[in-house]
Amino acid sequence: MEAIRHPGPTPDAPEQGDTALVARVTEGDTGALRELYDRHAAWLQARLMRRCNDPEVVADVLQDTFVALWKDATSYRGDGEVAGWLWGIAFRRMVSRLRKRKDVVLLSVWEGPARAQLDRTLVPAAEDQALLGVEYGDLAGALRRLSPEFRAVVQAVVLDGLTTREAGRLLGVRENTVKTRLHRAKAQLRGSLAEAALEDWR
Amino acid sequence: MTTPHTTWHADDDLLAAYVAGELDPIGGASVEQHLTRCAECRVRIRPLVDVPALDRTWLAIRDTVQSPVLPLPIRVARRLGLPEPTSVLLAATASLRTAWLASAVVALAFAVLAAAWSSDGVIAPFLLVAPLIPVLGVAAAYGPHEDPLESLVVTAPYGRTRLILLRTLAVLASALPVAVPLGFLLPGPVWLAVAWLGPALALVPVLLALASFVGPRAAGATVAIGWSAVVLGSLRPLPATWPVEATQQVVYLGLAALAGVVLYVRTRHDRQIGAVL
Repeated sequence: MEAIRHPGPTPDAPEQGDTALVARVTEGDTGALRELYDRHAAWLQARLMRRCNDPEVVADVLQDTFVALWKDATSYRGDGEVAGWLWGIAFRRMVSRLRKRKDVVLLSVWEGPARAQLDRTLVPAAEDQALLGVEYGDLAGALRRLSPEFRAVVQAVVLDGLTTREAGRLLGVRENTVKTRLHRAKAQLRGSLAEAALEDWR
Repeated sequence: MTTPHTTWHADDDLLAAYVAGELDPIGGASVEQHLTRCAECRVRIRPLVDVPALDRTWLAIRDTVQSPVLPLPIRVARRLGLPEPTSVLLAATASLRTAWLASAVVALAFAVLAAAWSSDGVIAPFLLVAPLIPVLGVAAAYGPHEDPLESLVVTAPYGRTRLILLRTLAVLASALPVAVPLGFLLPGPVWLAVAWLGPALALVPVLLALASFVGPRAAGATVAIGWSAVVLGSLRPLPATWPVEATQQVVYLGLAALAGVVLYVRTRHDRQIGAVL
């Protein structure tokens, strides 16, 4: 696998466009809704499918998400990326929809052999460095070294964007437990990454 | 707002592996974080996912967002647990519209007033009008003349029998709550307030049976004339409550049963009431 490197700056990211589209949706513009759907439905579908491998559930959640966007676009405050906001809606819908189903695991199983090992060096920038407050490092390795409970919390809160309260409900622990685990997990991650960076530097 | 990671992009193999669920959780999470930020990779993942499913979902979304806000009667019917197509059909029923109901209430109110003002307890106006309201409501419910839905109804694969019975029930359900309280304002015995329901309910199957021969308009007129004859004929020689006394009620019941049999036979013959109405 080869990562594609683009020389120079990429064309203007359409985040501004997304925000403008959401504004048009608040005015009842179905064309804008369609454009947002074209831009975001595909990756949302892929990401939802990784949480619940049932196409019907995923289709329902997608539909709910965009209908919610239509009815409630004004709740977008414009302080983040539209993509992240949409994922927040979609994932919360999925969590509440699947609350009664015990057979679905909304968090990835982190243990066990991966079906295709990914060469970590290919995805350095894909990792969420800014979010975790580090410049560079083997984040994947650091995540891997976390205990399963900590990883679950990091996934639910940091990666999937749930609040600590929602994560607590999803994981079946109290909100304070989530907060504590998250705090410690972040500290551990920072520690691992600092160590790795130090080794690199040497 | 600029995207922070502009130099690196997931390649198609990586995206395909991600969509296929072949990445381990950390690789998957990495791709996800990248997709949240990178519009370019979001574009490139589009052909890799289940596009037909996306198209179907879009149609469902479009239908939902483009459907107008439903009128109040439909929303009420839906709130009561009726499925949406049924609610729409009900709400389109001519005699369930506000104008029809309002005129029914006014007619009934005048009948009550007339009865209450007359010194000698003449309740004939009320007895004349009240039982005819549900009957004419039903007759108007499926008349082809003023029903904007009629052409749809005729061609829809929706049981006409079911539609007629449904509309009949709906007319009764909307007319009776108004008519019964007005009945209590009548002079004379309290049972009068509900006694008129006997002929009212009996005349509905009679109307339906007649309508299966001559159509709803002529049937409505026939029933109205017949009932007026009963009430007016009893006016002079008999007590005011005669049309709704026990013996007569039994006769109405018999008439209703007879009409039921006629309807049943007609239906058996023509497969459904809808075919004969």
